[in-house]
Amino acid sequence: MSNEGPPPPVSVEDLVLDARVRIEDLVDREGLDELCRSFHALFGIPVRIYSTEGALLADATGEQELCAYVNTTPDGRKACAATVGGVKALEPGETGDVTHPCFTGAIYRVIALEYDGRRVGRMIVGPFLGSSASLNEPPKSLLDVDAGIQAERAKTLLAKMPRAKPDTVTRIAKHLGSALDLILFSGHKAHVTNKMHLASVRESYRQLEEKTARLQEAFDRLKELDKLKSSFLATVSHELRTPLTSIIGYSEMLSEGLAGDLKPEQLEFVKTIHDKGEQLLSLIMGLLDLGKLESGTMRMSTRPIRLEPVLSEVISTLTPTARKKSVNLVLDLAGDLSELRGDPERLRQVFINLVENALKFTPANGNVTLRARMIADEGGGGDDEGLTLLAPTRSRIEVRVLDTGIGIPTREKPKVFDAFYQVDSSSTREYGGTGLGLSIVKRLVEAHGGEIRIEDNSPKGTVFVVSLPQAASRLSEAPRVA
Amino acid sequence: MQINFGGREIALKLVYYGPALSGKTTNLRSLHQLTTEQSRGRLMTLETKDDRTLFFDMLPLAFKAEGAVDGRGMTLRLKIFTVPGQVLHASTRRLVLQGADGIAFIADSQISETEHNAASFLDLRQNLAEMSLSLKQMPMVIQFNKRDLPRVRSDEELAALAGRGREPVFKASAVNGGGVLETFFGLLHMTWNKLETEHHLAQMIGIEPAALLPMAARQLGVTADVDAMLASSLGGKLQRTAQVVA
Repeated sequence: MSNEGPPPPVSVEDLVLDARVRIEDLVDREGLDELCRSFHALFGIPVRIYSTEGALLADATGEQELCAYVNTTPDGRKACAATVGGVKALEPGETGDVTHPCFTGAIYRVIALEYDGRRVGRMIVGPFLGSSASLNEPPKSLLDVDAGIQAERAKTLLAKMPRAKPDTVTRIAKHLGSALDLILFSGHKAHVTNKMHLASVRESYRQLEEKTARLQEAFDRLKELDKLKSSFLATVSHELRTPLTSIIGYSEMLSEGLAGDLKPEQLEFVKTIHDKGEQLLSLIMGLLDLGKLESGTMRMSTRPIRLEPVLSEVISTLTPTARKKSVNLVLDLAGDLSELRGDPERLRQVFINLVENALKFTPANGNVTLRARMIADEGGGGDDEGLTLLAPTRSRIEVRVLDTGIGIPTREKPKVFDAFYQVDSSSTREYGGTGLGLSIVKRLVEAHGGEIRIEDNSPKGTVFVVSLPQAASRLSEAPRVA
Repeated sequence: MQINFGGREIALKLVYYGPALSGKTTNLRSLHQLTTEQSRGRLMTLETKDDRTLFFDMLPLAFKAEGAVDGRGMTLRLKIFTVPGQVLHASTRRLVLQGADGIAFIADSQISETEHNAASFLDLRQNLAEMSLSLKQMPMVIQFNKRDLPRVRSDEELAALAGRGREPVFKASAVNGGGVLETFFGLLHMTWNKLETEHHLAQMIGIEPAALLPMAARQLGVTADVDAMLASSLGGKLQRTAQVVA
């Protein structure tokens, strides 16, 4: 988690409630220029658009010939600059529309642009000749501006100046204004949508961050609790084992007659005490194993070993049990198995447990098979880079424990490896067991870098599949502990 | 509320809240139609393809309060928002709700919608709580919309329910414009009174609470009598709030 904390909630209020709208933020400059140029092309009257701050946003003027002529004279140029400067600085006032005269007899109109009831800029239309002026002769102000101005030339050029009735100009300007208003509205809407979108995403992100932080906290607390549970388990198991060793030891001495001969009935009772003590001890040992596996303190050797002798020993150990239940127990080895790195004692424990389990749930005349094979690891689908080099190191040893027992319902399969879990609590009474075995098995297999999964046996029963990496692919890797 | 003395403007935010498809946007559309062009801006709708509100709708209304602030007048800008009703837009609803000065809760009168109304109201309360606000401090009116539909809660039932509740209740058929102005003016009335109590607007900017509604009606182009509109509410404490202020 970063220390910055979640971002603060976004205020959408500023977006729409009282945000100052600026033309330049909302409208594409070139588009605005185009709009003004088309206005100019239609009516021949120059038009410029300025922002509230006085920045020129669009310009469709094209110098009038008269203006160009005036600008060839020094004083004319000065007077022209002064007029243009004056127009630029002109505020449209309360009415939003003022007229500014030019010494040439032409006029400029300065019209306020409004959006959402507020001034956002102004439009300057002109210079043009108000037709009411009925100017045909150049006015005195024009001829006097510079001695170099020739009356005849000025007259010719003045006639070329665009003419319009002020009313018409007002109507046209209004029309342009409402077109601009629509553009501003669309721009504003898109702007608000974008901001809102962003704000929504940020708000959702903020909520997620909060939720994640709460989950992380809960997760940390649970991890802490889990650690406490493991250490509690280890301590309690250890403390239980000490007195239990005495119980087993003394009951054994009693049954062996070290304290004098026992009557048959007494002997039977003492043997029961001894058996139950042993049973309890194995449960406690299981708990201790689990605790050690969980806390990562189990010691295991990782020397290269072969699995065949381990499996044979498992079969020979459990054959008497199988025979007692009239279950057929078979070891099926095909071909040589590669070496693997691991602890033979722990692996024996794994397979004893699995086979014992299989026997327990298989009815008389059923079959339990312990089958081991080398399996090529397909990895990521066969077209991996460098598969030729990697594939040989990837084959695994697969050991399957197949039974023809009662089977495990699909939805229970992921849970059977949980500590203390039994598919059906009634099976505890019928078949015995603590529910610890498989959870230890899973952790031991994982500590060997392997995996365990459950498949269905056809037509009935269960297959536990243990897949272990061969020694070559583990190389010097330290044993993993869950 | 935002007051800008320099620009002689005061901005209020009113939010139309309620379950999906209860007619919040329809209320705004009707309000847009019922007011004059000079006083209203464009209705901004941010909606999806299927006409459902995605982020919000916003209708700006504005009118001049003559004589306010040293007699120079002041522009009153009202921004009326709707929230997206669909459950999944929770974060957007919270965003839109920020800084609201008053809330109109648009409920659907159909009996089948009773639970949606309640759920949306609880959602509103929750969202306000997350902004450290409570409904006790928030001016609110309730509108029972869609009175024109069959299988709606009867007038008698509504009156009985409203009599027990705290908020004034307005009946409406927003699609025909019925009850829309009543709801709006009821909300404006409550909101202004609340702001008056808190900020002493009469003193600060010179707008008397009693003068606000008639002034607003006149400039928005509403000819109906404001008092009659307020009187059309059921239950609630619309009048009492006014008296407290007076």
